[in-house]
Amino acid sequence: METPLLPPEIQEAHRSFPGALAACADLDALLRLKGAFVGREASHAARLMELLKAAPKEHKRELGAAANALKTQWEEGLRERQAQLEEARKATAALANAWDPALPSPLPAQGALHPLNRLMDRLVDVFRPLGYHVEEGPEAETEEHNFDGLNIPEDHPARGSADTFYFKDSDGLLLRTHTSPVQVRVLKRIAEKGPDGLSALERNGGIRFLAPGRVYRKDEIDPTHSPMFHQVEGMLIGKGIGMHHLKGTLAYAMKALFGPGAEVRFRPSYFPFVEPGAEMDVRCPLCGGAGCRVCKGSGWVELLGAGLLHPNILTFAGIDPTVWSGFAFGMGVERTAMMVSQTPDLRLFFENDQRFLKTMGGLD
Amino acid sequence: MLIELGALHQELPALAGTSTHDLCELLAGLGFPVDGVETVEGATVLDVDVTANRGDAQSHRGIARDLAAKLGAALTPLPAAGPAQGQPLLPIRLEAGDAGPFYATAVLDLGAPQGTPGPVKAFLGAMGAGAKDLPAVDASNELLHRYGHPSHAFDADRIQDFLEVRWAREGETLVTLDGVERKLTPRDLLIADGAGPVALAGVMGGEGTKVTAATRRVLLESAWFDPRTVRAMAHRHGLHTDASHRFGRGADPAMAEPARDLLARRLQDWAGATLRSAWSVGAPPPPKAPIELAWSMVDRVSGHPVDPERAGALLRALGCALEPIPGGARVTPPTWRHDLGLPEDLAEEVLRLLGYDGIPSALPPLESHPEPLAPGYLKRRKLASRLANLGFFQTVTLGFGDPLEEALGDAPARRALANPLGEDYSLMRGTLLRDLDKVARLNLEKGARDVRFFEIAPVFEARPGQPLKETWTLGLVWGGEMGGEDPLTPTRKLSGPEGRSHLQGVLRALGVAAADLAAFGRWEFTEAATGAVLGWHFEVPIDAIPDAGERVIPRFAPFSRFPTVERDLSLLVGLDQPYAALKAAMEEALAGTPLQDLRCVDVFRHKSLPQGRQAWLMRLRFQAMDRTLTGEEVETWVLSALDAAQALGAQLRG
Repeated sequence: METPLLPPEIQEAHRSFPGALAACADLDALLRLKGAFVGREASHAARLMELLKAAPKEHKRELGAAANALKTQWEEGLRERQAQLEEARKATAALANAWDPALPSPLPAQGALHPLNRLMDRLVDVFRPLGYHVEEGPEAETEEHNFDGLNIPEDHPARGSADTFYFKDSDGLLLRTHTSPVQVRVLKRIAEKGPDGLSALERNGGIRFLAPGRVYRKDEIDPTHSPMFHQVEGMLIGKGIGMHHLKGTLAYAMKALFGPGAEVRFRPSYFPFVEPGAEMDVRCPLCGGAGCRVCKGSGWVELLGAGLLHPNILTFAGIDPTVWSGFAFGMGVERTAMMVSQTPDLRLFFENDQRFLKTMGGLD
Repeated sequence: MLIELGALHQELPALAGTSTHDLCELLAGLGFPVDGVETVEGATVLDVDVTANRGDAQSHRGIARDLAAKLGAALTPLPAAGPAQGQPLLPIRLEAGDAGPFYATAVLDLGAPQGTPGPVKAFLGAMGAGAKDLPAVDASNELLHRYGHPSHAFDADRIQDFLEVRWAREGETLVTLDGVERKLTPRDLLIADGAGPVALAGVMGGEGTKVTAATRRVLLESAWFDPRTVRAMAHRHGLHTDASHRFGRGADPAMAEPARDLLARRLQDWAGATLRSAWSVGAPPPPKAPIELAWSMVDRVSGHPVDPERAGALLRALGCALEPIPGGARVTPPTWRHDLGLPEDLAEEVLRLLGYDGIPSALPPLESHPEPLAPGYLKRRKLASRLANLGFFQTVTLGFGDPLEEALGDAPARRALANPLGEDYSLMRGTLLRDLDKVARLNLEKGARDVRFFEIAPVFEARPGQPLKETWTLGLVWGGEMGGEDPLTPTRKLSGPEGRSHLQGVLRALGVAAADLAAFGRWEFTEAATGAVLGWHFEVPIDAIPDAGERVIPRFAPFSRFPTVERDLSLLVGLDQPYAALKAAMEEALAGTPLQDLRCVDVFRHKSLPQGRQAWLMRLRFQAMDRTLTGEEVETWVLSALDAAQALGAQLRG
């Protein structure tokens, strides 16, 4: 399309056209370029029209063809670029309305339940379908509830002031050393109602409950001891209750707590308020039984103490041990939580560092 | 208790082929878990955990007895009986009744050489006792670890006139073998001679009558003492000895004479001793009455039928004597098993020997409707859940208090502990806020920017003349910065009344009434040193928080299907204008209108406003149950609300 008839400034403009077109970053710039090349006035196309009008007749044909070709090229270029820019604008607009879902969302910060409370709540949930309800008692207890009613002899070392906190001016009041006094209170409640209590027991087919709560023992705080810790106690009274029921109940509970693969074993042991007594081990939840630091290589960790209710405990409440029988079990909450979570230091549970609570706690 | 493997094998040769691992499993299965296995100078020593009820198992023979019953194997018979009853060489009187009813003794002249055999020294080394190289002392120790019966040897030449078992007299003292002078009380059981106390019965001998290398004649003691008496003495004097441990858990009264004879025999063998005489005074405590065991009890306890033949055989293997009765047996436990007193005890023994592994597993039938969860428990649990969802972290703190930091209305002395761990643990807390503040401060110090904590725990209150009261309480603390969790909520420091307002909002959301907010409020918590406000805290009894609706399915409340009309009123009010008063006045003016809601939706404070004034944007929302409202009537109502506001000094902001 080169023809010497075209003035050099038009030729120059045409050569610069592709570059100028590419340089248009948005539709405004493109509009300005369009004005300069194909606008009605003062554009290169307008100038070409003027030249064509003034050209001698013999040149008109050649110049006309050249001018048309240029104009068509410019218009096509502009149209193409405009389409591109419009596409780009749409994409930007879409982006402007988009929001990366990975960005933090404007919801209130989440807190967490304390891991010890969570574990206790979880245990309640595990036992709930088996018909257990929750019983609670005070932390400041009497010797009668904490020791006497549990068949613990009067000269038992646990009663000493080296092991148990006593209140100063409240004769005999102490901080309960286990959740077992709740058992005593429940049994006493039945006994105090006399025949009514027993007929209620009869009507209900027995009683079953969990007693979660805070307990105190006179230990200095260190990585494995604390003067306050938590226990969950469970008790069931019914007719014809034997060790197989204790075993079945706890095996079920451990599966619910640790997963269907949980394995338990029972060993004979001794607690004054049960007969027979047992300790329950679970297959080490960390190594699966292969042997590790937590289970000291044995593949098993001791999790709770249990047994059939000692007949004296039932007799104490006026319940005939030849008619009724039952079982009880007790679990240390911190010990279990530490073992399962591999928390290295008991004190972490009571320091309440947010970073610990964030990783260990959670919502229910 | 320490068990040396070689000595155990001597008692029960059938163990010879059993590996240490299998032995540990066997012991655990019998209720004697092994806490550790050590090698001491070539000997394997097991640290066996023996529960407090099994006084009889506190020796190699005791452990071997249970293993023998489990394995159906025979124990090595005790060495042949010793000398027959001889003539008393000095008077021995029993003056303490049931506390010390039986005393077996012997007097021997020691010859030469005086040495303890090497294997016995090694055995005592493995027991952690160490040999004294005095045969009388070492043999007594060896017998204690081997057979479980404590004995004692006196230097006979230092015993004056007679021996008696009696209660101590007020003011008496005794220097025990450990060199400590013990002040005695009438609750201490003594061995005494003509000159006074020579031993704390069943606990420790006296320094003045002890056997030394110079001793030429010994008097042996192998007695039986009441477990409670010995436990109390050991506790009172802080003297927990091998002897007190075994007497305190119940020694076998029938073992007193054999132990004396074995001790005499060892002195004859090791030290060329000559027996002058051996005799006994008093009688062992009578055996317990036989137990009537119904076989059905064993079935019930174990949850599966146990063959009575098998159960009987197991009980016999433990040393019980059985006499058949209809449906069961009359069982006389052996003299060493004082822990067996009830049929349940016997059922446990059968189960223990059969192995707990064999007990089947079953869920007890659920025969009734479970009781509902206690409302108090449920409420606390729901509260905790809500607060965690509101961004608060639940804390657990120990619950002790420091009297210096607690200035509360009750009598803190009655919350005080008699034997606290330390000053700052010396009473039971009367508030949760001190601990919560501590937690918040600690977290801020560790770099936390936003601290929100709550605790639900009992606090203690002691009013004069009333029992100590425990009240379940919710404590909350909120401090640090606010926002910054997401790109749309900028971070800002909680300032002025804002934090308190947020905390109030949380409490109101929980349903705590305004009156309670005023009654229980202690709002700011500050840096003790600078007085700078670190945050806001609050505690409220759980009972003051209403239950979140008792009905699972609430009653239907009708609502309007006609459009709502909203109008905003921008009011200029004084900076001290109480919001509740203005709101109440406007609402009163609108009584009888279908007002749905009226509230401040924006607070504007700026220097462009007249001094002392702020702008509140009040939003009024109307909606009728039965019709669409007209613009005119709404205008009338808005104007009457404006009038009410103006009556309180508010102006319409132009």
